[in-house]
Amino acid sequence: MKLRHLGAVCAMGLGLGALPALAEYPERPINMVIPYGAGGATDISARTIAEPLGNAVGGTLVMSNITGAGGATGSVAVQNAKPDGYTMLFARVGSHSVNPAMKATLPYTLDDYRFVTVYEINPVACAVRPDSGIESMEDLVSLTESEGTSYSSSGVGSMLHLAAVFVLDEFGVTEPLEKATHIPQKGGGAAATAVLNGTATFLCTNTSALASFVANGQLKPLMVTTDEPVPGFDAPSASSLGKPDLTQLVGWTGIAGPDDLPDDVAAKWGAWIAEAAGNEKFVEQMTARGSVIEVMSPEEANEFIETQYNTFRALVDKLGMRIEG
Amino acid sequence: MQVQLGIGAIVAALFLILYAIPNWVSSPSNVRNIVLSPLFWPYILAGLTAFVGVGLMFSARGAHSEDGPVNPPIEDPGKGALRLVAMAALMVVTFLVMPWLGMVWTSMLAFVALAFLVKTRHPVAAVICAVVVPLVLYAFFAHVASVAIPQGELVRLP
Amino acid sequence: MSLIDSVMAGLALVGNWEAFLSLAIGVVIGVVGGAIPGISATMAVALALPFTFPMAPINGILLLLGVYKGGIFGGSIPAILIKTPGTPASSATILDGHPMAERGEAGRALGMALWASCTADFVSNLALIFFAGFLASFALSFGPPEFFALILFSLTIIAGVSGESLLRGALSALLGLLLATIGLDLVYGTNRFTFGDPNLMGGLNFIAVLIGLFAIPEVINMVWHPTGHMGKVQKLGSKWVTFVEYKRCFRSIIRGSFIGVFLGSIPGIGAAPAAFLSYSEARRKSPNKANFGKGEIEGVAASEAGNNGVAGATLIPLLALGVPGDVITAIIIGAFMVHGLQPGPMMFIMNVDIIYGLFIGLILSSGILFVVGGLAIRGFRPVADIPKRILMPMVLVLCIYGVFAVNNNIFDVGVMFVMGGVGFAMGRYHIPPAPFLIAFILGPLLEDNFRQSMLMSGGSPDILLRGPITWVFWALTVLAIVTIARGTLNAAREGN
Repeated sequence: MKLRHLGAVCAMGLGLGALPALAEYPERPINMVIPYGAGGATDISARTIAEPLGNAVGGTLVMSNITGAGGATGSVAVQNAKPDGYTMLFARVGSHSVNPAMKATLPYTLDDYRFVTVYEINPVACAVRPDSGIESMEDLVSLTESEGTSYSSSGVGSMLHLAAVFVLDEFGVTEPLEKATHIPQKGGGAAATAVLNGTATFLCTNTSALASFVANGQLKPLMVTTDEPVPGFDAPSASSLGKPDLTQLVGWTGIAGPDDLPDDVAAKWGAWIAEAAGNEKFVEQMTARGSVIEVMSPEEANEFIETQYNTFRALVDKLGMRIEG
Repeated sequence: MQVQLGIGAIVAALFLILYAIPNWVSSPSNVRNIVLSPLFWPYILAGLTAFVGVGLMFSARGAHSEDGPVNPPIEDPGKGALRLVAMAALMVVTFLVMPWLGMVWTSMLAFVALAFLVKTRHPVAAVICAVVVPLVLYAFFAHVASVAIPQGELVRLP
Repeated sequence: MSLIDSVMAGLALVGNWEAFLSLAIGVVIGVVGGAIPGISATMAVALALPFTFPMAPINGILLLLGVYKGGIFGGSIPAILIKTPGTPASSATILDGHPMAERGEAGRALGMALWASCTADFVSNLALIFFAGFLASFALSFGPPEFFALILFSLTIIAGVSGESLLRGALSALLGLLLATIGLDLVYGTNRFTFGDPNLMGGLNFIAVLIGLFAIPEVINMVWHPTGHMGKVQKLGSKWVTFVEYKRCFRSIIRGSFIGVFLGSIPGIGAAPAAFLSYSEARRKSPNKANFGKGEIEGVAASEAGNNGVAGATLIPLLALGVPGDVITAIIIGAFMVHGLQPGPMMFIMNVDIIYGLFIGLILSSGILFVVGGLAIRGFRPVADIPKRILMPMVLVLCIYGVFAVNNNIFDVGVMFVMGGVGFAMGRYHIPPAPFLIAFILGPLLEDNFRQSMLMSGGSPDILLRGPITWVFWALTVLAIVTIARGTLNAAREGN
């Protein structure tokens, strides 16, 4: 027993000596931080792309969930990591455009990261219970104006929180914060349950999170934030309702490193992700979950996130939603 | 012992109510309803702590002093206290050194230090285990469970 | 399609060796993962998930369910042997399992844990098959006010695990409640006791607190008194659990199973509270009440029945509504979706073969768990023979790795060390750690559901009594408090 262990130790020692002195990036496993918990949208997206991405990289990718504080704990871990390309982050709409727009005390800003890509986009849909008597966005708006409504979210500063306010504001509800009550839940699953059991009137979240409830007839979609209707969602698109600004309201997943990530590393990631996202099985699995695979170059990704952040920030400032404490 | 605990609880509650909660819990200015304030629940808890503290002191007064539970005595309380200080230092050093030295090497040192702190009767076995256990755990977590075990700045394992 | 047809369709799907093998592999992974502190059942399921993508849907899901069930049982092995719960759900098992191990009866405790787990697992699976529809409709009537009342009632179980002094138990619980307030506020997102540290914003990691509170004080105690264990033999022991003992504990096991089924079918509670509730009920009803906490085998049986009773029942909201009951089922829903299946009422119509295939597989899993668990107990036997002054440094290193692996964060190792110090001090003052832990789990739920209720009603407290479910739990709470108060007064009178 002990001999065998000793053998293992010796083997490891040899392995140490055998490491090449100078090699091209990546010469060792890359740590990919997922700032949300297992089973969430980010986690599933990250773990689905892990295999094709690993093949493209030609090295090992280690997926690490570092959860807490709406994605902030994991994001800070990457912000403070060495910019050597061995610690990268799966950034998400919540952690990198809603959170920075809403939270004054957030320990990071968008400038602390260098985005190498955004590879997945999820449209957002708003849904209610089918027996709620709400048939359209018009009904929802008039109910909010007359009696007041409530909406659930996966927490303060989550995309769901901002999405509901954004939608009400776009549809002309004045003072949406007063007329619609925010009932935060712990996590996206709990947010959907809250609408199912009547705790909240509606929620606005990614179509992937709603797909099964809609398919089963448990929730009724009122609108999707796209130009074209989304398959499986019997609801008008934002553009057809005359609210094209709402198409800014989409979820996304991207990959980022610390802000002084070297150019050659960023360039490599651009090539890898383009190859990985072309993988047929990956596209098929993600599309089945309601996502749109769209690979952006580092520049496009930066611009996309910047625009979304500014849209959100303007809304937050207009309504006084910023969290200062 | 009951009395000490009771006093401790009351002091802690007063500290929470007078200093910690007002200073370390932030609450937005536009809270509509007192029960919804982030401060509400901590204040309730602090109040209950004070209440339990009073209860502990009150019940201690009524009971006989020898009724309370006793810790079994040890032969060398002086050295024991020293060992506790050493253990505390060991934990602090382990935590601080880990990001720099890496988890595997730090655990080996912590293992040896702890084994000798408790005066093990099998020093050779302890050293062998100190080397093998962290390595086996590393091999398992890093290569089977795919956890990014911190490697440190000095020597990296494959 | 008739019931027979459905069952046959299900059999056709799982009546092959691949399905059986995936289930068995899953159980093995689960038991081993659960037995390693720091790899919780949740983590084991998450780790296994990517490997199921290429498999046939039913096999992949069966594998994950096997991991889940194996993990919940596996957690009891280190809980009994080294007082470190492998998963949060097995914390209650420590209370009586570890004292038994100290007496040299670890084998008996582990055997009973296995028998109780398998029985409860079987009951839970039957409940899933027969009551899924009924219990699922019930589950959806739980809004925040109902949860608030239920959790308030669950907090009364603290009295059952307080040990010799209710006041010290209450102090322990309050400490847990206070530490649980660290982090971001639910309703306003503002900081509470975070000192601007992003690591604290997420709150204290539950596993770090748990391991810090139960395992590290053992290490510190060893440092304080290195020869304290001399003369206490800690061996697996030759004594194995007997059928007579099983029969004696059968009532507690069945009660625990139903508590598990009930709490498991309501989303969001989880296995740890079920284990504690089952434990305190068994203690309340037992003629050997005084022996609980000192190594009473019925205590082990009740805790393990409680946590394994949850395992099948959490699938009720998952299959019937598509609502995950806890983190583990949330991951399992992910597996369904990757395979293009959408859990929910429609699945009982569209994919009835898969539903019945799962049912058959689940029934099988109880048997597989029994075999694999028995082997695992023997496999982990050497742990009990390691000299304690070598075992303790091992525990320390294992805890460091395990706690880090839960959230890939070194900060959590620090939390574990600090909680170890707190746990040691609590031990010196005879403050029991179990109430702390229960309060730490339930405290945030209590506060969140209270505030969600207040948001719903606009601040009116009437909503807390809005329906029959809340009335029942409020009545139970009052009853429990009266019973506890009377018991305490009686004890005080006898003492004088």
